Amino acid sequence: MRIKKFLVLSSLIILVLTLSLAFTKGALGHYPLPLPGVRLLASWYLFTTLNPQYPVFTAMSPEAVTAIVWDYRGLDTLFETAVFFLAIVGALALMRGISLKSALNNASNRVGDGGLSLICKTAARLLTPLIIVVSASIALHGHLTPGGGFQGGSAAAVAPLLVLVIFSVYFLLSKGVSEKPMLILRTVGLVGIYLTALAAVLIGLFTGLNAYVFQNQPKPDAPLGLPAQISGALISGSLLFFNVFEYLAVAGGFTLVFILLSIPEEVVKSFIGGETHE
Amino acid sequence: MGFAGKVSGVFILTFIVYVVFSGSITAYDLITGAVVALVTSLITANLVVSNPNKLFQVKRFGWLLAYSIRYFFVDEVRAHLDVMRRILHPRMPINPGIVKIPYEVVSDYAMLTIANSITNTPGTVVVDVFPEEKAFYVHWINAVVTEPEKARESVSKVFERFAKRIFD
Repeated sequence: MRIKKFLVLSSLIILVLTLSLAFTKGALGHYPLPLPGVRLLASWYLFTTLNPQYPVFTAMSPEAVTAIVWDYRGLDTLFETAVFFLAIVGALALMRGISLKSALNNASNRVGDGGLSLICKTAARLLTPLIIVVSASIALHGHLTPGGGFQGGSAAAVAPLLVLVIFSVYFLLSKGVSEKPMLILRTVGLVGIYLTALAAVLIGLFTGLNAYVFQNQPKPDAPLGLPAQISGALISGSLLFFNVFEYLAVAGGFTLVFILLSIPEEVVKSFIGGETHE
Repeated sequence: MGFAGKVSGVFILTFIVYVVFSGSITAYDLITGAVVALVTSLITANLVVSNPNKLFQVKRFGWLLAYSIRYFFVDEVRAHLDVMRRILHPRMPINPGIVKIPYEVVSDYAMLTIANSITNTPGTVVVDVFPEEKAFYVHWINAVVTEPEKARESVSKVFERFAKRIFD
């Protein structure tokens, strides 16, 4: 025991000493900071992200990360979202036709049975609405402070996950949080994201003005753009809409996957097992 | 009262949490907060509240405030000092054991208040609860007594008195 402790302690000390020696001798290269050229790019983003004096470049959002994610490189984020939802489509395709509906009617799966202790259940009852409002705040302030649609949606999915683990998946389903409503929520979110991306173009079609896909603020050759403010409140044009719809899509998508993952193996087998076995 | 009472109770709670978490009070925060709190309270009202009449009895909030002050400034401090003494003492005088502690409150939230108050003070942790027996099983760093009633006297008597007045 004593030797083990000594070995653990000495290896930690050696690690710290080696790392500090390596860093002081320049193990990170001669530029511990990013190269000057890279830093120039960062300062350019910070300079333009909320700068009404340069209407050509600005995204009208003080939160540079969200501005980059949904405006400067919005197309990239759109395809990231598409990849995430292809994964969910894959999960849905694998589990097609398998449903917990029949098991829900089974008497042994009655709501209220099973789950964790009454302490956990009572605390979860109180925490569920608080998780939802905090996650909504993360999404709705994504263009102002760190956070955004994906972060908020992931946090929101914790609420059904808590209920699923602490009560049971059948309790969640009996409250109406089942596959179909979550699929609808996810689809509404995705449709919203695509409509937001096309908003300027759609308006341009009717007004005959030039506009771009993923356009946020007006540009010199495309005078259309989404409003940066609504009666004094900064909404940063398309960024707020992207965040809200991404929030719905991610919250719905994650909840859907959690429900699919919690289908017991016996239920899956009862659907795909066939009749060849006794 | 009924459903509207439940919704307004959850609405006020969620709205306050939203504004506090957002950290600013502009028109944008208040409007989005009201919308979010309304939707959330409509969805979760039946899950969170079972007796909305209690939400409108101001005396309960007075007891809640009194308990918060008493719990954080008296019970927590006392428990921390006790456990600190045990840790720093050269002979580490601990006498750990699991004791059964009964409770008499009726509502779930009162039970939760007692359980969390016991767990949150250093030295005592609720291991499990048996609602049928109306008893907690508590791990106690210094289990001086094992008879349920006496253990309750020294571990959870104060918590239970307040929890009963706040939630029952």
